[in-house]
Formats: sequence, structure tokens, C-alpha cells
Amino acid sequence: MKSFKKYWSIFRITLINSLAYPGELIGRSLLIIPFMWIFYQLWKITFEAAGTVSINGMTLYSTMWYLMMAETIELSRPALARTISENVKDGSIAYILNKPYSFLLYQFSNSMGETIFRALTNALFGSVVVWWLVGPPPAPLGWLFALITIFGTWVLNYCITCLIGLSAFLVEDVSPYMWIYQKLVFILGGFLIPLSFYPPWLQTIAKALPFAAMVYGPSQLFVTPSLELFVNVLLMQFIWIVILGSTLVFSYNRGVTYLTVNGG
Amino acid sequence: MKEIKFLLAVWKANLLSVMEYRVSFITQVLGMMLNDFMYFAIWIIFFDRFKDVRGWGVSDMYITYGVLASAFGLVSLFLGNTFTLSEIINNGRLDYYLSLPRPVLLHTVSSRMVSSGMGDFTYGFVSYALSGQYTWDGFLRFILATFLAAVVFASFLIIVGSLAFWFGIISNLTNLMVNAMITFGIYPTTLFDNYAKLILFTIIPAALMGAVPAEFIMEFTWGSLAKLCAGALIFLFLSIAVFYTGLRRYESGSAIQVEI
Repeated sequence: MKSFKKYWSIFRITLINSLAYPGELIGRSLLIIPFMWIFYQLWKITFEAAGTVSINGMTLYSTMWYLMMAETIELSRPALARTISENVKDGSIAYILNKPYSFLLYQFSNSMGETIFRALTNALFGSVVVWWLVGPPPAPLGWLFALITIFGTWVLNYCITCLIGLSAFLVEDVSPYMWIYQKLVFILGGFLIPLSFYPPWLQTIAKALPFAAMVYGPSQLFVTPSLELFVNVLLMQFIWIVILGSTLVFSYNRGVTYLTVNGG
Repeated sequence: MKEIKFLLAVWKANLLSVMEYRVSFITQVLGMMLNDFMYFAIWIIFFDRFKDVRGWGVSDMYITYGVLASAFGLVSLFLGNTFTLSEIINNGRLDYYLSLPRPVLLHTVSSRMVSSGMGDFTYGFVSYALSGQYTWDGFLRFILATFLAAVVFASFLIIVGSLAFWFGIISNLTNLMVNAMITFGIYPTTLFDNYAKLILFTIIPAALMGAVPAEFIMEFTWGSLAKLCAGALIFLFLSIAVFYTGLRRYESGSAIQVEI
């Protein structure tokens, strides 16, 4: 319990800190507005060209709300990999390692604190634009399922970005790995195009990987909530959290043995 | 002539600087090429399903994406500080450039090379080669269009960055504008209504970085060449005017700055 309070305090401090610069917070979130507008133009014309109101069970309305949720998830991700890799490269990791808390849990509490308000402001701006373009948001059950599964998304994202950041123990520059991770989320997560529009063979591959459980799962649940999909997404998230979480703990323990910090 | 010699010397020094970390340089170049390919794969999936968006197919997207990537890469490689101009102004780092007998704007923006730009620049040519519309005269137009699109992009970044002279910290606005240029640049102009088109040729000139250069590469018309040249010249002059007007307002503290 005492241990939990410690990380809860770190989370709270980062959360409050993220509100210290409201202009910065709002400025970052404004990006979702042009994105949603351009998606609307693209998908409106695509549906018109297809001559149908529904493609693979998705309408223009559900596509736009799906994309709003996907954008909220993606744009709220903190730059954790860069922070950790800089900590490793400039030796400032030593200041965190000698404190009476776990490095991994400290980074987790920290990244959660950074994410919450970013996600809220993105969802707010995104919802206003999409509401104006296609109509009111989906049923409250969708919000509930999406909210629960988004937490799993954040944990998975933390595991992957933390692993990339810690790879700075071995490589000079981690940014290419970040770009590639982001593009895997774009393609296999169904970030720019809902997975329902993909060819069946690619859907099968994508749904077996963690990226679909991170973006497609919560976004699809948001527009078409069903108990079956909800259980499926939660199960996939759980499996991947166990796999990636174990890999992270193992890599961290190995990485720390490589660490050499000179001077101070 | 003197300024060209100076630029070549700056670029040579930048290249030597990034090549100091060879593994990092190669990783960034290859990583960016892979990143660009993966991003484009989304469009391959899209056009595999929907074939055509108002006359714009995957082959046209290869060219649009190619010219956009190469122009972005060209600016990253040779004018890397255009991306961070507002921070340079806000942190008082212009002091260094002001104290030297060289054009301030040119010296400032050319003093940094972003290694990953080489990946973008190269990938653009690969994308054009894969478009299935490759011709020798088209290739020459690709080079010219990339150069003109890069002028528009660099000028736009300078205008946005120079707003820091009036508004202070605007790094969010800079990021927003860079993202808007890239996001809007890849879409065909046929997608937008007339009001949106007006914005894409003026406030966020993304059409001059993606769709218009692509049209020029696909088929030579005096109209598209005129649009590109006029756009590049207008934005270039505008950027110089905005920067030097803002420079009169420049103030710096007593912080010691070291430029490496």
C-alpha cells in the first residue's frame, strides 16, 4: 500500500504539472482538428465513389468516430522512448536509479500522468469537430468499453516505448525504432484506415499482433460495442502485456548491468 | 558567388559533423527510408480497396508522396535549422549569427543538417521510380519540382518560425504547421472544395509542395510550372521580408551561447 502511494504521488505530480501550461496542452491538441477535417473530406468522397452508405459494416458516421478515437489514442502518447534514451545517453538515469523507487514503475506513473489530460483535450477537440461534421457521438456503452480498453492500450504502449528507450543501452540512436513502431501502429493498428477495410488475410495478421489491440480494439468498441469484441480485445491486451512486460523487465535488468556513467 | 562558396563550406562542415557518428547516420537514413515506405503502404492498402479518389490513383500517390518526401528531405539536409528557427530566436541564439559578417538568415537556417533527411530525399526518388510513370523528361521535371517545392516549404517554415519575433514561444504552432503541410500535401487537390483550396495555396501552401508539383511531373503544362515558380518566388520573398522585419524586434539576454 505504501509502495502504491509512492507511485500514485509521482502520477499526481506529473498530472498536475501537465496542467501548469494550459496553452501548451491546448496547442498540442489543436492538431486533431485539421486531421479530422481532412479525414472527413477523404472518406466522404470515398463513400460517394463507392456508391454505398456502408462498407464492411462501417458508415461515414462510424468511420469518422472510429478515427476520432484512433487519433486521440495516437496523439496522446508521451515521448517516453526519447526521454528514456536521453536519460541513458546523458547519464541522468543515475539520478533516478539511486532513488528508493523502481525505475520502470516511476516511468510508468510518469507517462500515465502525462497522457491523461492530453487524451482528454484531444478527445474534446476531436469530438467537437466530428460531432459538427457527422452528428452526435455513439451510445454510452461504447464510451465505457473504449475507456476500459484504452487503459490496456496505454500499458502496452508503455511496454513497447520503454523497450525502445532502453535499447539506447545498446544502440546510438533510437529514433528510427520509434518511427518504425509508429508506422506499425499506423498500418497494423488500423490508425488511418479502419481494419474492417483491409483484405481478410491482412486483418487476420493484424488482429494477432498487439497494435490492433491498441488502436483498432478500443476504436471499434467505441462505435460498435459488443461483449464478444470487448472480451476479445481485453484477452489480446492481457496476453501481449504479459509477453511485452516480461521482456521489458528482463531487458531492463540486463541493460542496467551494461550501464557506465562517468562523472556527475 | 561569395555566398554560394560560403554555403558550400557550411554544408561541407555539416556533413562532416553528421558523419562523425557514422552508425547513427546510416541507421537514421535507412530507418527513415523504411519509415517512409511503411507510411506509404497505408495508401497501397487504401487504393487496393477503393482504386480511385476523384481520378487520383495509387500511381499518382507514388509521385505526390515522392516529391513531398524529397522536398522535405532536401530542406532537412541543407536548411535543417528552418525547423527550429523559433527556438533559436527565443533562446537568443541569433546573437552568434548576428556577430558574423554573413547574411544572418542564410547562415542561421543552413547551419544544421538533419541526417534522416537523406533517407527522405532518397526515398522520394525511389517512390517516383516505382510509380510506373517514369520517363526521362519526367525525371528532370521531378528534380525541378522537388527543388521548387523545397523552396516553398523552407520559406513557409521561415515565415512561421519568424513569428517568434512577435509572439515568443510558438514551438507548438511550428509543429502544427509542419504536420499540416505534410498531412495536407499528400492529398490531391480534387479532394477539397474551393475555400479549402484557397487555404492550401496561401495560408498553408501544402498544394505547392505535393499535388501541384506532382501534376507538373506527370504532365508538363505551362500553367503548373507558372504556379510552382510563382509560389516559390512569392514565398521566398515573403519569408525574407518577414524575417528581416521581425529581426528589428529581436532582443536577447546575457546568456552565453555556444554554437557547435
